[in-house]
Amino acid sequence: MVGKPLDELTAALHALLPADSVITDPVRLRTYECDGLTYHRATPGVVVLPETAEQISGVVRACNDFGVPFVARGSGTGLSGGALPREDGVLIVTSKMRRVLEIDLPNHRAVVEPGVTNLAITEAVRDQGYYYAPDPSSQQICSIGGNVAENSGGAHCLKYGFTVNHIEACEIVTPDGDLVTLDRMDPGYDLLGAFIGSEGTLGIATKITVRLSRTPESVITVLAAYESIEQGGQAVSAIIGAGIVPAAIEMMDALSIEAAEAAVSCSYPEGAGAVLIVELDGPVQEVVRQFERLQEICSGAFELRVADDPAERAAIWRGRKSAFAAVGRISPAYIVQDGVVPRTSLPKVLAAIDRLSQEYGIRVANVFHAGDGNLHPLVLFDDAEPGAGERAEAVSGAILDLCIEHGGSITGEHGVGADKAKYMPKMFSADDLDTMQLVRCAFDPKNLSNPGKIFPTPRLCGEVPGVRKGVHPLVASGQAEQF
Amino acid sequence: MEGLEKTGVTVREAGPDDAVGGVRPSVVALPESVEEISAVLRACAEHDLAVVPAGGGTKLHWGPPPERCDVLLDLCCLNEVIEHAAGDLVVKAQAGLTMDALADALAAQGQELALDVPFAEGATVGGTLAAATAGPRAFRYGTARDLLIGITVVLPDGTVAKSGGRVVKNVAGYDLGKLFTGSYGTLGVIAEATFRLHPLPADRRYVVAGFASHERVQEAAAMLAASQAEPSAVELDWPGGDAPFTLAVLVEGSAAGQRAEALREAMGAGTVTDEAPAWWGLITDDEVLLELRFPPARAGEVLEAVRGTGFALRGSPVAGRVRLELGAQLSGAMTATGFAGVVSGLRERLAPLGGRVTVLAAPDESVDRWGPVSALPLMRRVKERFDPGRRMSPGRFVGGI
Amino acid sequence: MDPELINDCVHCGFCLPTCPTYVLWGEEMDSPRGRIHLMKQHVEGTPVTPEMAGHFDACLGCMACVTACPSGVQYDQLIEQTRAEVERVHVRDPRERAVREIVFSLFPYPRRLRLLRPGMWLAERMAPFLERVHPSLGAMAGLAPRVGRRQRLPRLVRARGPRRAVVGMLTGCVQGEFFPQVNAATARVLALEGCDVVIPPGQGCCGALSVHSGREEQARRLARRTIRTFTRAGVDTVVVNAAGCGSSMKEYGRLLGREPGFRVLDLSEYLAELGPVADRHPLPVTVAYHDACHLAHAQGIRAQPRELLKAIPGLDLREVPESAICCGSAGTYNIFQPEAARDLGDRKAKSVASTGAELLVSANPGCTMQIAAAMRRGGAEIRVAHTAEVLDASLRGVSL
Repeated sequence: MVGKPLDELTAALHALLPADSVITDPVRLRTYECDGLTYHRATPGVVVLPETAEQISGVVRACNDFGVPFVARGSGTGLSGGALPREDGVLIVTSKMRRVLEIDLPNHRAVVEPGVTNLAITEAVRDQGYYYAPDPSSQQICSIGGNVAENSGGAHCLKYGFTVNHIEACEIVTPDGDLVTLDRMDPGYDLLGAFIGSEGTLGIATKITVRLSRTPESVITVLAAYESIEQGGQAVSAIIGAGIVPAAIEMMDALSIEAAEAAVSCSYPEGAGAVLIVELDGPVQEVVRQFERLQEICSGAFELRVADDPAERAAIWRGRKSAFAAVGRISPAYIVQDGVVPRTSLPKVLAAIDRLSQEYGIRVANVFHAGDGNLHPLVLFDDAEPGAGERAEAVSGAILDLCIEHGGSITGEHGVGADKAKYMPKMFSADDLDTMQLVRCAFDPKNLSNPGKIFPTPRLCGEVPGVRKGVHPLVASGQAEQF
Repeated sequence: MEGLEKTGVTVREAGPDDAVGGVRPSVVALPESVEEISAVLRACAEHDLAVVPAGGGTKLHWGPPPERCDVLLDLCCLNEVIEHAAGDLVVKAQAGLTMDALADALAAQGQELALDVPFAEGATVGGTLAAATAGPRAFRYGTARDLLIGITVVLPDGTVAKSGGRVVKNVAGYDLGKLFTGSYGTLGVIAEATFRLHPLPADRRYVVAGFASHERVQEAAAMLAASQAEPSAVELDWPGGDAPFTLAVLVEGSAAGQRAEALREAMGAGTVTDEAPAWWGLITDDEVLLELRFPPARAGEVLEAVRGTGFALRGSPVAGRVRLELGAQLSGAMTATGFAGVVSGLRERLAPLGGRVTVLAAPDESVDRWGPVSALPLMRRVKERFDPGRRMSPGRFVGGI
Repeated sequence: MDPELINDCVHCGFCLPTCPTYVLWGEEMDSPRGRIHLMKQHVEGTPVTPEMAGHFDACLGCMACVTACPSGVQYDQLIEQTRAEVERVHVRDPRERAVREIVFSLFPYPRRLRLLRPGMWLAERMAPFLERVHPSLGAMAGLAPRVGRRQRLPRLVRARGPRRAVVGMLTGCVQGEFFPQVNAATARVLALEGCDVVIPPGQGCCGALSVHSGREEQARRLARRTIRTFTRAGVDTVVVNAAGCGSSMKEYGRLLGREPGFRVLDLSEYLAELGPVADRHPLPVTVAYHDACHLAHAQGIRAQPRELLKAIPGLDLREVPESAICCGSAGTYNIFQPEAARDLGDRKAKSVASTGAELLVSANPGCTMQIAAAMRRGGAEIRVAHTAEVLDASLRGVSL
């Protein structure tokens, strides 16, 4: 039953796209089986590589005609399996759509295609003194379309906010295949706000208008080395308490420093139990005053490095930015988590993570956006060792439980995707999730747009919410839950 | 109305002052908790009663009148600060809390919600969100939707739902807060909201300068928008016609004085003060109120388009958002057809600039308040899902939603 | 293919933007991450299909991904192993086989190359015809340089002034035959900086071209011969001016299972280590420096050549945008994958042109040939030179 509509659809796709933009060869298809999270894999039924919004619209319409689900993918760097393909579906890859369509500096905006990388936007305007503020660690490769889907953050979102705060408009292909523009300037519901971060479940962004920010007049990056994570954590609280809003406050523990050293020889101070990276930016007079305060606050650090030119700053950031992938150097396998806790709960939560680590005999490296309480515990294990994967999963789940317990979130920037859907009921009530489903059903009544992500169980969009009418065959067979 | 009384929620008969856009409800319900809001809405669902939620009532006359209104849901009794986690720069408040009371509570801890309210008093958290009014500092801090990190809403069938949370960084699930912000009470009732806060700036300065022409305003605005001095707000006040323009720039931070001085020099005009101009961020007369949105580089052309309409203008040329007011005297003088003509004329002038014209408030019912809305079909579908019975503020929003 | 090396990849995708073929086509299968995935599929039992082989063949071997990888994936080793595996198990179509045979029986052999020299002008004229017969032949003809006068180098060039060191010098095959003036300049620069330069006669190809194309046996044979030559010459340091040769020679230990008895250094690396003594005369010229992949990525040498150039008074050094992206030359790539090579060449030519430089400097003859050809196609001539030639001109006080 699954194979046939897909075969018919594939024939239709060939009519819509050039031959080499429709991939059906099994060996090629498999290279798309996962995104940045390799834990979940599924070989897509078909991959298409459209080059225009109209082509995406055509593909989505065809999916509707044949009742075939589709999943959008940008650069495939997501860490929650948000672009995990469907074996019975189409994977729509936007990596060929990478034109910067318009740069409008007087209005501080640029219009780009979804496959343009985050960093490419900044590179296009850097010489004119502008940049695109959200900066996920994968910024050199992650696509702006993916950023929109995930509402990506980054180290500097402490001061500058997330993707949603920097997008002025999106042209989207709705799950029915219509091309619609969502614009912040339009009156009406803030569908743009709802769309950003919807992880591809409400449609596919095909043209994105981003806001460009003026390069700060002055930037100072400080690296403070502490003997322990606790001392580093206290400094973070003190900085916030002093009314300073740095552009970024990042922390790395000894284990993640070790990994970064192995990868990029970042030469962080030896013997540090934790390093804190604090970046101040803004008008020079403000930065100078904040820096004076910061030095007082960080006086407990055993080493303080200050960088105020781009090369030195890059040297400090290099270790932090490579930390995730670098962990591959000290462990055969690892799980990255993305939980968030209120900043003031950081010390308690870190201590609890440490206890979990000892209890399960699983090492946990901590890299995090300390300023906004966004933890990235890297749960390390050896996949060759029997049972290690399960224990790592258990630790990883327990960390998310901790985050929820402390009033935080299961994901700060990576998204729920396929990976954390099962934790959603711990964070939200059935009513909360059902209400979110109302949005889903309004956009995607047939449940074709990236089904199986975010929400724990597939649901059907009933005609009248809340009123159950008869039993759908999928519900009867236990494959879906009637909404 | 017996259905409502059974809920045990305080209910009183509505008076003439309770009318919404001329439509008088039968009763006013005064819930004191989220559960009570839910009970009222459930009862309304059972008896097919139409509901309009209200906060301080400052903007209740905005938008078209409701098609029907049986129950006015007055949230004034939900007026508590639920939790102010100062160390986390986060506050959770009930919808009926006034923005003033909230500001006082936050200021006690040296913090603020960087959301300016255009009324001297009375506006509530819920109403500020539902109408999504933007203030001067939206230029730097964003609007209500950018500062809202969690929300509790009650759906028309009484379901209580929340999204977001009490941490700033959070991408779990759909952001219902964005959807409800600016929804004019048409999807459900905003019951509680959690915001991210900012430390109160160490110092504030205003640079106030007068300009004679819209070209000079545009020039100064472009300079300020591109300035690395990071002004927090740039506001324009213009009585309209041949009157001069007053531009005021807010600078916040410990070095506000120096930075303000530098900006004054860059503008080549003005004085630096520590007091905001009297008009700063306010709506003075909203009998007739328009909002214009436009790409900021077209501010000069927008000003030119507004000249001669008789409207007074106030707002931010750098954020591309201004409001037009018509004093009571003038609004009386303008006929309905005359007003509709002015609005459509402005739309014609702004459309090629990429601008929008929205009529926030007008007594005249025939005018097209919203103009073209590209995603209207999707918006209707959202409304159908949330409020299939069309009982929440019916007819008060875009496309008659 | 070593599964351990394959498993080092955590699938983060940081390599994608540095990969020339991904930059061109935006397809996962033609990215380092995708190719590693294909290797994994093969190791897990999927036979090498023509599609799979095509994606491996399309890799330029520029190693930009190695530089970019935070997990330390040794893609250089992986692709070499994979190429050898493809050669072993995959049967190519006859036309493709024929072209590969021509190249591998020609390029690594200086004497055979020498026979071509008089025909270069003809090649240029016949290019359109050859293009129709096979795009690769057309590409070969299009790249043909106008060959300089042949210069015979002595076995030993004595140091000027006090002798600071004795070094061996590789003459290379393509470098030696098509760009003899570069070798002459290299020897002069080394001598002027106080080195006795030993240039053993009868040097052959170092094996680089064969390694990069999966012809392991031929590579080992050529490597052993090169080691023998320099061991006999009795030097402990061999200076190489061709990036591709240098990077391969630095890997002799891995190729043969034992280290050669001498160090291998790139010219710029060696000069930086030695430190300058000779006077630099002013050269008022605007230079765009092109990072040859086998220098920048395979050997990690980026700073030294720039510093050497910047130290020349009057020289204005300009950075080329997208400097990490390969120019498409990549050894024999421009012959086997002419279309991709052409697209990359055009892209690079545009970047180079955007600098407004008068002179393009690089450390690899292949790159210079490729970019100059691309610029000619685009109607923008640029003078080209090897780093050694620029230094030579400055040290001798002559114009370029």
